Amino acid sequence: MLLSKSEGKEFLLMGNQAIARGALEAGVSVAAGYPGTPSSEIIENLASVAPEADLYVEWSVNEKVSLEVAAAGSFAGLRSLCVMKQNGVNVASDFLLHLVLSGTRGGMVLIPCDDPGAISSVNEGESRYFARLMEIPLLEPGDFQEAKDMTKWAFSLSEELGNVVMLRSVTRLSHASGNVKLGALNRTKPAAKFNFSGNLLDAKTGPVITAPVPFRHTQQQGKLKKAAALFETSPFNRYEGPENPELLIITSSACYLYSREALRVLDTEKRAGILKLGTTWPLPPELLKKHLAAAEKVLIVEEVLPFLEENIKILAMENIDSIGKIKFFGKNDGTLPSVNEMNPDYVIKAISSILNIPYTGMPEEYEKSGQILSFTKSPNRELTFCPGCPHRASYWSINRALTLNGENGFVCGDIGCYTMAILPAGFGTIKTAHSMGSGTGVASGFGKLKSFGMNQPVVSVCGDSTFFHAGMPALVNAVHNNSDMLLVILDNSGTAMTGFQPHPGIPSGAAGNELPSVDIEGICRSIGAKTFTADPFNVAETEKKVLEIIENERGPRVLIMRQGCALSPEKKGKKKYNVSVDSNICKGSDCGCNRLCTRVFRCPGLVCDSATGKAMIDEIICAGCGVCADICPSGAIKRSEVAL
Amino acid sequence: MQVKGSKEIRAGVLDSGLCTGCGACVSLCPYYATHKGKTVMHFSCTREEGRCHAHCPRAEVNLDRISSQFFGEEYSASPFGSYINIHSARAGDKAGVSGFQTAGTVSALIKFALEKGYIDSAVLTKNEEGFGVPFVIDNPGDVEKASGSRYSVSPTVKGVNDAINSGRRKIGAVGTPCQTLAVAQLRGNPLKQEGFTDPIALSIGLFCTWALTASDFTALMKSMGDISTIRKLDIPPPPASSMEIETGNKSYIIPLDDIRKLIPEACSYCHDMTAEFADISVGVYEGKTKQNIAIIRTERGRKIFEEAVNAGYLETEKIPEEAIAPLAAASMNKKKKGLGKLAGANLINSETGHTVIRMKKSTLESILKGGASCC
Ligand SMILES: Cc1cc2nc3c(=O)[nH]c(=O)nc-3n(C[C@H](O)[C@H](O)[C@H](O)COP(=O)(O)OP(=O)(O)OC[C@H]3O[C@@H](n4cnc5c(N)ncnc54)[C@H](O)[C@@H]3O)c2cc1C
Ligand code: SF4
Ligand code: SF4
Ligand code: SF4
Ligand code: SF4
Repeated sequence: MLLSKSEGKEFLLMGNQAIARGALEAGVSVAAGYPGTPSSEIIENLASVAPEADLYVEWSVNEKVSLEVAAAGSFAGLRSLCVMKQNGVNVASDFLLHLVLSGTRGGMVLIPCDDPGAISSVNEGESRYFARLMEIPLLEPGDFQEAKDMTKWAFSLSEELGNVVMLRSVTRLSHASGNVKLGALNRTKPAAKFNFSGNLLDAKTGPVITAPVPFRHTQQQGKLKKAAALFETSPFNRYEGPENPELLIITSSACYLYSREALRVLDTEKRAGILKLGTTWPLPPELLKKHLAAAEKVLIVEEVLPFLEENIKILAMENIDSIGKIKFFGKNDGTLPSVNEMNPDYVIKAISSILNIPYTGMPEEYEKSGQILSFTKSPNRELTFCPGCPHRASYWSINRALTLNGENGFVCGDIGCYTMAILPAGFGTIKTAHSMGSGTGVASGFGKLKSFGMNQPVVSVCGDSTFFHAGMPALVNAVHNNSDMLLVILDNSGTAMTGFQPHPGIPSGAAGNELPSVDIEGICRSIGAKTFTADPFNVAETEKKVLEIIENERGPRVLIMRQGCALSPEKKGKKKYNVSVDSNICKGSDCGCNRLCTRVFRCPGLVCDSATGKAMIDEIICAGCGVCADICPSGAIKRSEVAL
Repeated sequence: MQVKGSKEIRAGVLDSGLCTGCGACVSLCPYYATHKGKTVMHFSCTREEGRCHAHCPRAEVNLDRISSQFFGEEYSASPFGSYINIHSARAGDKAGVSGFQTAGTVSALIKFALEKGYIDSAVLTKNEEGFGVPFVIDNPGDVEKASGSRYSVSPTVKGVNDAINSGRRKIGAVGTPCQTLAVAQLRGNPLKQEGFTDPIALSIGLFCTWALTASDFTALMKSMGDISTIRKLDIPPPPASSMEIETGNKSYIIPLDDIRKLIPEACSYCHDMTAEFADISVGVYEGKTKQNIAIIRTERGRKIFEEAVNAGYLETEKIPEEAIAPLAAASMNKKKKGLGKLAGANLINSETGHTVIRMKKSTLESILKGGASCC
């Protein structure tokens, strides 16, 4: 489908596939990104057709570098794409601030996928504000067809303006699917050449730099004005509804679908109209003036923060003479929440209260009891590590070593599956958790507080991919400043959380091509940290090692706990051990065990027989890692190696 | 006695500075561990009743019940607890023990009991990198590997649990008063387990005024040089007031005042100086460096002791009344101080919350009211 030539044919596509197809139709040549839900499938889809479609696709070490790699493509005249999740824009923003000033050549599109409601994130950051802050155009597709079409258009818009264009997707668009009519696909392989010998001030032929800043900044703002003018007639901005609506809803992105559904449910299509914006920054002033003038009440529906709302209010204020007085509803006045995902229900309630339409919806009691039931009666599916996950074993050892040491040591974490150690899944071992690599930076700081009397052992954890992404500078900092801390690298050989994308430590690239790998231990050693390695599945030895490193070593230290992810292609579906519980030996909930395996260790492969309190192995779920045999105090869990 | 669980141990003992580090709760289950003389809890256990609480010498210890169990009488306000007689003793030539702390009575008794089959194993305490760790032996030849005193808190009773777990049922246990108290509790089968038999065939208690926080003491030792070269470490009885350490080629004298700073808070709650629930309690004979004082408390203790004397493993002398007066005074003093502190913290016979000791009110009052020296 991605390379289908059947123009006009409809396919059911996931939002991220539609975006990938749009980029292919636009003739993209370079695509780079850093994995992160809900964005990863865009690069993955492009990677899957890279050789055939003459594309260069890479998973870069982090978002900033991915933006730099994509920019190089653009500087050399190619169309290029850069993809990341919302918080990635923060990482890339330093380069972005300079890129928007120097401008781009070949069409360049930056696609952040936001995650309202933080369904698979630890924040619900907004990338849209970056478009305003960086003064670049922002596009927001409202459905799957638009996801493809706007992506395609974004490249030519970028070329027309000479600057990078941001296209923002959200989880419900990226990960849901809908019908998409394909456009023409004419792949050619353009030649890349970077021209730099022209005049210093010539954006097309000179060096690509930000100086002189006032000159370039003026140019940049000119591009933005031009964008606003182009947006006035964009087909991605549409109005549907009566000429003089009682209520004008202004919306964008997935919220367009929610607004339409709300009007339908309330049967108010004749009273209220929807202005659906696809180009949300800069706002096309004339289009907005026209629609605002025709309404007295305006509801702005968007996800998450009141971005549109603020910009529209400024525009309305500046044009109050021609537009007249308007009563605005949205997030600032509390009509809609400014956290979490939007949904049709919120919009229905907002409209019914503004227009005084009685809406009973679900009786409150019913809703409440539904919520209670779904909480209490649904099977307990706590957030936890997979069966056979090395992280559970790693935290077991780290936690126990810190307890034995008895000096109130703690672990600073960051972003990855392993963040779940803030929960019982990882025995609550992580005590600080922020952005990529930040655990190690924070630990580097904690490790310098001895002179203030802080004697608690300081440990940070960091995944292998995260280590390359942002952990390395933090470790360099810790070594250079001789911080007293231990970095534990949880090396599970891949970017597991987002679906096994390779990283610099893996000898392959986005398209499965062979690449040189970078040795984590070698890096740490050459930086100057004392390094150690351990196999977390060997729990007793690992615990001992952690304890020894904490108690007998000082300064910046690195312990690499190496064991592949249970879901990795090499391991998935292959049991190393057959495991069973001898119920005659199992102590169950008696004094002497009290269900250590099912109550504390809690691998989903272990279940407690509620009648006897004794443990059993769920053969289907158990991944056969054999670790539980080592943690059982009674020797009741038996394992035998599966013959290969 | 009201048996509770680990929640009470954590709050009432570990986190309240009452834990003696005896190790009685370790090796019963995966939740307790001991490291460098300190007892810690891994994760948490939700059981409302457990052996950890039942064996702990700092939780619901009913002195009258234990006393009745071993001696057929309630706990009294006397300085040494219940006993049959008191001797001056030392290892005889037949015992062939060396490296002992005072006069080798303990080592000789254990060796004799092992050789004669009164016990099939013994739980002693050896030195490992400056820390006292339990040492389970089956062989009389191994007794000497653990002779001498480790003055730091040691989890010796963990070794008793290990020995029981490995099927040993005629165990000789040597321990300080808190350790001996824990052993006495476990011997009473507090959780009423079916088919229980007392696994302890000989309990030897050591006199004790205090022990030292293990990590601090080891750090102090290490600051004096290689701890593996320490040959002898002794606290001579009063009027001396110092600790003497002999290493390979040097000897050190550390003022006791400096040493006392390393005493854990837990010891200040202790009321037992002579290990009152042992079969035989052994300590220093003040003024006679080459002699121990041995308090024989039970029939089986008396039997083994007398046979050891007859076999030449021990040499004894009669001890004049006045010779034990200083010990009686010191012992009464410790009772008064320890029980007084516990009572002050509402940890005796407490109706609500944590209780360390249960005992007859009148006995308590008579101890607290008594003069520093009595009898
Ligand atoms: C911490 C401590 C404090 C003491 N305080 C006093 C005191 O105030 N007054 C007094 O008269 N006597 C005290 N003693 C007892 C004294 O040090 C001798 O242990 C006792 O006199 C027996 O001498 P011995 O020659 O027969 O011992 P040995 O034949 O040398 O045998 C000593 C035995 O004690 C065991 N042991 C060593 N260290 C420990 C320990 N930390 N915990 C449990 N068992 C251990 C060894 O395994 C060995 O079997 C104390 C002992 C200890 C361990
Ligand atoms: S840890 Fe072992 S003894 Fe305890 S419940 Fe699990 S299988 Fe049974
Ligand atoms: S062997 Fe044990 S720890 Fe490993 S997956 Fe199976 S049940 Fe879980
Ligand atoms: S109740 Fe039993 S299992 Fe629980 S902590 Fe105490 S000894 Fe261990
Ligand atoms: S006093 Fe002994 S039994 Fe009680 S908590 Fe401490 S080590 Fe455990």
